[in-house]
This record gives sequence, C-alpha cells and structure tokens, in this order.
Amino acid sequence: MASLITCPHCGRRPKEEFSIRGDAVPERPAPAASEEAWHAYVYLRDNPRGNIREYWHHVAGCRRWLVVERDNLTHAVFAVTDAREAAKGGTA
Amino acid sequence: MSISFTHRHILEDRMGGYEPSPNANHLTVVRRPVIFSTLAHAGHEAAVAEALSLVEDVVVRSVSPSDWLVVSQSASAATISASLATIPGLSFAEQSDGQVLMALSGPDVRTILAKCVAVDLHADMFAEGQSAPMMICRVAGNLARTGADAFEIIVPRSHAAYVFDELRDAGREFAMTRGFGD
Ligand SMILES: [Zn+2]
Repeated sequence: MASLITCPHCGRRPKEEFSIRGDAVPERPAPAASEEAWHAYVYLRDNPRGNIREYWHHVAGCRRWLVVERDNLTHAVFAVTDAREAAKGGTA
Repeated sequence: MSISFTHRHILEDRMGGYEPSPNANHLTVVRRPVIFSTLAHAGHEAAVAEALSLVEDVVVRSVSPSDWLVVSQSASAATISASLATIPGLSFAEQSDGQVLMALSGPDVRTILAKCVAVDLHADMFAEGQSAPMMICRVAGNLARTGADAFEIIVPRSHAAYVFDELRDAGREFAMTRGFGD
C-alpha cells in the first residue's frame, strides 16, 4: 500500500510523515541550455498512469529526500532510495 | 511575588489536578534537560557517531544517518559543548530552550503510545536503547525506548502543550499521572 512507505533510514512509516515533492524524472538542464529546455523542465510534465518516480521528503522523520518508485494505479511501492544515492546513480 | 520567566516551564500551568502521588503509569516532564542538535559533515558520519558514543553523561538520540540529538540530565550545556567542540567534522547547536523532554513509564505505556505513534513499539521491533524520529500525536518528534516499559519523547517546545494534552488524554483510561521531574 502506498500509505506505508519504507524509508531506508527509518523503516516502515505512514504517508502522513512525508511530503510529496514532485516528479523525480526530469533532469535539470545546464544553466546555459535553451529556453525550450528550461520551459520543459520547469513546466511540462507527463501524467502517466502506472509506474512513476517521485521525490518524497521525510519531513517528520529523518528529513532526508527520497526517491519513491510506485504504481499510482495499484498503490504498489517498488523501491525507496535516498535521493543522494539515487543522484549518484543508485538503483531507484 | 514575582516569578522568573526563564525558570517557568512551558507546561507549568498544565500540571494541576488532584494526584498526590504517581500511579504505575506516569508521565514525567524533565524540567531542565540539556539538548544539543548535532550534524556530521559529509563523509564524517561514522567517525562522528563513534565519537558521540564516547561523550560522558549524555544519551545520543538518532535522527538521521548524519543527525543526532545529544541529551543530558546531569551535565551542563557548557561541559557538553566543550566535549562536542573536540569532535572533528561535527556541527552542533544547543536546543535546550527549544525542545521539551517527557518520560513515560508504566505497564500500559505501549498501549497509551499506540494511540498517537504509528511505529511498532514491540520490543522485537523497537528495542531498548533504540531511538528514532517520528510523528508523535501528529507532531514531528523523537521517541526513544529507555526500558521495557519506559520511553522518552522529545518534541519542539511550541508543540509540547498539545502533545502533553494528547498524551494525558490517551493515558486517562489507565489513570496515568503526570508531574515534573528534575
Ligand atoms: Zn526517514
């Protein structure tokens, strides 16, 4: 169930402890990238059904940013990774 | 008669009630604990955790892989500050005025806490000595197990009255008493 998220640091916690901070898929363009690239990064989002990657901030726990991979249709959670590990090329 | 504001605890006015002596289930508000917030610099996490475990007269509460609360009921803030200053790769700040420390104990304390904490507090899942940040009565705080039937809660001062009221209500069916401890 998506209402229970297993934080890699804190263990299984209710979703109320977290704040969802948006799509984790878009990659920040280089500072000098085109206006189109920046517009797409800031404003344009797919709205997929199924498997999604999101940033979740564990506000009431370890206060770490996490990348949560889950299915927004079935509520199944596939992976939760510390965002720093994910940025380094972790598994999520 | 004048009362020194700095020596008035935020929960002072909530301690009323006819309870001459503590019951088996009791909530103690520690009047003047010393609490430091500490943060290890990137790459120093393991060394800092090791060094913190060696500081005398304090208990260390886990917040995140690089983040701890250092709590003492015996040493002074100046002493702890001096010890923390010797640890390389550590930033720290005193939070004693900003946090409230409460201790709950008694045979029904787990049932009482189950009303406002979502984490499984069975001893197999949350052992003695363990601590973790979590939502306590909808407030982000830190909970530690200090004994089989004893827990400590640290919550921000501005939310302490609310958490205290919730715990008092949760403990009412078990006749939980409350009072200051020094
Ligand atoms: Zn966490």
